[in-house]
Amino acid sequence: MENELKIDPRLVEEFLNFSRNIAEAPKLVPAPDEITLETTPYDVAYTEDKVRLLHYKPLTSTQSKVPLVIAYAIINRHHILDIHPKKSWVRNLLEQGIDVYMIDWGSPSNIDKYLDMDDYVNVYLDHCVDFVKHESGTDSVSLQGYCTGGTLAAIYAALHPKNIKNLVATAPVIDGWKDTTVVGNIAKHVDVEKMVKTIGNMPPEFMYYCFSILKPFEQGLEKYINFFRNIHDENYVDNFLRVEKWLGDTPPIPGELFKQWIKDIYQDNLLIQNKMYVGGKQISLKNITMPLFTQVAVGDHLVSPECSMPLHYAVGSEDKTLRIYPTGHVGMIASSLSQKKVLPELGQWLKERS
Amino acid sequence: MKTEFNDPLSYYKHLTLFWTDLMYLMANKPASLLSAGPMRNFASNIKKISSEIIEANEDLVEFNTHFLEYYKQLSDAWSEAQKKVNEKMPSIPNDTEQLEAYKRVWIDIFETDFTELFDSGKFGENYGKLVTSELELTKHWNNIMNVLLQSANLPNRNEIDDVYKQLHDLRRKVANLESELQQKGEHSGK
Repeated sequence: MENELKIDPRLVEEFLNFSRNIAEAPKLVPAPDEITLETTPYDVAYTEDKVRLLHYKPLTSTQSKVPLVIAYAIINRHHILDIHPKKSWVRNLLEQGIDVYMIDWGSPSNIDKYLDMDDYVNVYLDHCVDFVKHESGTDSVSLQGYCTGGTLAAIYAALHPKNIKNLVATAPVIDGWKDTTVVGNIAKHVDVEKMVKTIGNMPPEFMYYCFSILKPFEQGLEKYINFFRNIHDENYVDNFLRVEKWLGDTPPIPGELFKQWIKDIYQDNLLIQNKMYVGGKQISLKNITMPLFTQVAVGDHLVSPECSMPLHYAVGSEDKTLRIYPTGHVGMIASSLSQKKVLPELGQWLKERS
Repeated sequence: MKTEFNDPLSYYKHLTLFWTDLMYLMANKPASLLSAGPMRNFASNIKKISSEIIEANEDLVEFNTHFLEYYKQLSDAWSEAQKKVNEKMPSIPNDTEQLEAYKRVWIDIFETDFTELFDSGKFGENYGKLVTSELELTKHWNNIMNVLLQSANLPNRNEIDDVYKQLHDLRRKVANLESELQQKGEHSGK
């Protein structure tokens, strides 16, 4: 028969293997709930409301004089910075002799809907910095902010420059109008006033929706095909599940904070124009005069480089460094590239200034 | 006095409000005897529930319009992307290498086309309106719940919100006072 469809037997075999992998998956792989995401030991040094300040235990006999406080983003949890011993941002810095603190913003509930930018910057972040200064006996600390935490860190540094010795901004959200991502597009079109008035806190489901349309076919389809294909590869599965678990753990964002975030940064773009107010004070990025290290990723589809880089040019610092890495938003902080390139450069930069 | 209606919805709205109003007036005085019970509260608030349901119906129409547009945009993007895939890979893959190549092309084209859609102004605009209409529906639901809670003599959402606001202000005041006290202590060398 001329029209007979010839199928490569390897194709059939691959299909059967794939089906077998799906059937065997539950026997080979732990449930995400059974995985602990934190890998590096820490003490809870300070708490306020739902916010915790984590102090990681040193891994070297001597440590740099100026401690580093990491302000994690308000989206998802801080675990991505310590997601796996071999890809841990925190562990790498500890091994370089840096004293690391991390702010875990916790999971806000309905009662926290009136928490705003002022609370996050001038209360929680300020109190954490004060605590670290007091505990370490220094006048100022190094402050790193990742993603939306980078914005909070930049605002804090502009309002309290004396407290900050060095500022590290990793993929910060700064110039909302220049953001070319899907997240930016949605943020610009949402009636955030009505959203907060009607539902209070920003629900995690809204963020899940945003994630789902970022790379819908690579992240929503291919990723899972590859997972089942590699079900026998322990390292692959372990990495996959850790990141998946982290992605699925998005706390709500307090309504008032979310409102100011979307309106001032994405819709009216006030921060980069030095017209934004927090706690009744105008934010001028020119007040950031301490050394600044800005890290952006070319393939960042959550915060585009065009949105982050303007910080480098807007500040008053004379000592400033901009690094652009060939990776994505998460790749910059939790990948082999971050271990081999991003973190050694950051560690070196910090040590030279601490 | 004759009332004229241009569309069935207006007539339906009028009819519902007419009967709920009339029943409320007719039952109002004898029912006040039961003023301490939930049914009296419920009866006096039933009109609010009717109004909310009617308005929710109007907003449902708005929601459906944007919901349909949302899926139309997705469906158009899908057809366009599939057309591009068919042009690039006209034959059916029948070995593993071809299948892998087909999958790569399919994902790349779909990813590019859908990202273009999600980045576009028309998507953002419709999505924004879709969320707004969804919020309108939520608002009606919240209002109905408020009436029911009030009927049961329980605090409604607005009252709870007031408590949240007061708690937030109090927390801030306490934090400021603590900070001031600490500063005073440091200045006096304690």
